Amino acid sequence: MTTFIIRRLLLVPLLLFGVTIIIFMMLQLLSPVERSALYVRDFPKNEKAVDGIIRRYGLDKPFYEQYWRWLVGIKDPVSGERNGGILFGDLGYSRTASQPVNELIKNRFPNTLDLTIWTIAPMILVGIWLGVQSAIHHNGWFDQAARMFSIIGTSFPTFVFGLMLLMFFYANLGWFSPGRLTDDLMQVVNKPTFIKYTSLITFDALLNGRVDIFLDAISHMVMPIITLSYISWATFLRVTRSSMLETLRMEYVTTARAKGLPERDVIYKHAQPNAMIPVVTLAGFSVVGLLGGVTITETVFNYPGIGSAAARAAVNLDVVTVLGFAIFIGFILIVANLVTDVLYAVVDPRVRLS
Amino acid sequence: MPELLLDIQGLETQFKTPDGIVHAVNGVSFGIKEGETLAVVGESGCGKSVTMLSVLRLIPSPPGKVTAGKALYQGKDLLTMSDEEIRHIRGAQIAMVFQDPMTSLNPVMTIGKQLMEPLQLHLGMDNNQATNRAIELLEMVGISEAKQHLKDYPHQFSGGMRQRVMIAMALSCNPQILIADEPTTALDVTIQAQIVELVKRLRNELGMTIIWITHDLGIVAGLAQRVLVMYGGYIIEESEVKELFANPSHPYTLGLIGSLPRIDDNDRSRLFSIEGMPPVLYTKPNACPFAPRCKYVMDRCWKENPTLEKIGPEHKVACFVDVKNGRNR
Repeated sequence: MTTFIIRRLLLVPLLLFGVTIIIFMMLQLLSPVERSALYVRDFPKNEKAVDGIIRRYGLDKPFYEQYWRWLVGIKDPVSGERNGGILFGDLGYSRTASQPVNELIKNRFPNTLDLTIWTIAPMILVGIWLGVQSAIHHNGWFDQAARMFSIIGTSFPTFVFGLMLLMFFYANLGWFSPGRLTDDLMQVVNKPTFIKYTSLITFDALLNGRVDIFLDAISHMVMPIITLSYISWATFLRVTRSSMLETLRMEYVTTARAKGLPERDVIYKHAQPNAMIPVVTLAGFSVVGLLGGVTITETVFNYPGIGSAAARAAVNLDVVTVLGFAIFIGFILIVANLVTDVLYAVVDPRVRLS
Repeated sequence: MPELLLDIQGLETQFKTPDGIVHAVNGVSFGIKEGETLAVVGESGCGKSVTMLSVLRLIPSPPGKVTAGKALYQGKDLLTMSDEEIRHIRGAQIAMVFQDPMTSLNPVMTIGKQLMEPLQLHLGMDNNQATNRAIELLEMVGISEAKQHLKDYPHQFSGGMRQRVMIAMALSCNPQILIADEPTTALDVTIQAQIVELVKRLRNELGMTIIWITHDLGIVAGLAQRVLVMYGGYIIEESEVKELFANPSHPYTLGLIGSLPRIDDNDRSRLFSIEGMPPVLYTKPNACPFAPRCKYVMDRCWKENPTLEKIGPEHKVACFVDVKNGRNR
């Protein structure tokens, strides 16, 4: 198991290199003029400024030199200070957010992480539960109803379903609101007396003993959670159900019954752990998707995660921010895949040794 | 105490399929005495396994269903008792070993855990007792360094070792009856012989009653006392083992024995085989199910399905023809 993890960890630098190369290539699709144009006022007329930027940042240099500069940044010849350099964790300055991309991610990512954590149970566990029950009651009324219900969810465009929730729960009933926190509570959170242990509002609220803030934060996440869960259930249901049906036909399930085990143990101790193997992959992908920021859902519910920030940067042609996010999400993806691989080994002993 | 340990009467099992109802077992009756070894022989698809699975109610339902008959174990009908009651018989009193050891062990559970499960369930052992007993069981079936192997997973074992584990698991609660469903079919020949020897040794040590399902008559000769030959969901011949080989009386049995390769045969001709395939019965036949493949077939065989009739003290057969002279019986 340890060697398995070490071997996977050794792959990480290689993967990171791949990610940066791909993102850098995408950057190269823009000509030097196009890239500098974004930083020049009244662009077409001000050719000198464009030239100045191109020369200053070496945008006319060969691509490998540019890649190297992009990785390690540029040293200021006078002060000796280093500028930029994604290898040193500097992802540049975000025009749309008026702050460094690093700061932006630091402010936004905890919110996305918070939402992800609270979405895992309703999305994955409920989805798996639906799939297992569907398989057990194969072709029964529960199976039919659950499949119908979840197919409707998947067929909804996210923004339509999100708007319907807003109409119903926010406009009509007034139970839940969009956003992150109620304004006055947000002020409490931003005061220095509210200690940010984790930067995740729900957990910090509990650690600071503010149950009211915790509940408020949760109530703001209810609608995004419902949306994200409902659109994913069908996938989880389908994968779990077919995997479970296949497993239930396996001979070792008959063995388990022939041993005299109660049906409950046959299903949950013998069949389900085997059926979970393909579901782990799906769950891994889904969590990665959530961590990468759920652009549409966050935008519809005005939730300040990295998804909505990335969307804003993209529509404003803020290339630096978009690329910074791409690198960050690439990094998250690599880490999450590592975790999925390890989980794989946990559920399937055959993976551990090969 | 009834004379028969297990008494099957008129068992019928059907499967619902998209093409219609398949009659897999059609009124099978037989009994087994305590300590006896009974072999059930026939090609694949003759209803041998389904019969045994029906007895323990392990037929997947739907699509399978036992539609008639009784399976009396120590006088109690296994087919009508509650789920709870039959659970205490499965594994504890009647245990099963399956055909393919590659698929009949749970791949994500350690060997030890799988072995300990029935011990804790039926004998109420705690972890320590169950661990010790599991080690004992593995040693009993000839797996050395049993203690280390408890933490292993099935994929770390060879086919022969897995089948030994299956046997150990089946015997863990000292069952009255061991049903072995083609336990050697998926193994290579040397391992087959080892497994058969192992079961013989354990039978003599533990005094079990064994029902051995197989299509290999070679194994039957050295192992069983009595043989049932099944075809198309019917028992077509039932006999004491020596009598069966000396005096096979159904054309199908004759064909099965004829298909065995013989070590004293110098003739380099092709091995004999029975033409055709066993039937899939969508209706209960009113002809002999073997008639299409039978070389002794007569007009009567197409009109009537022969019933099992006594032809000797320990010998019954379901055929109109006396295969010794080819005449009507």
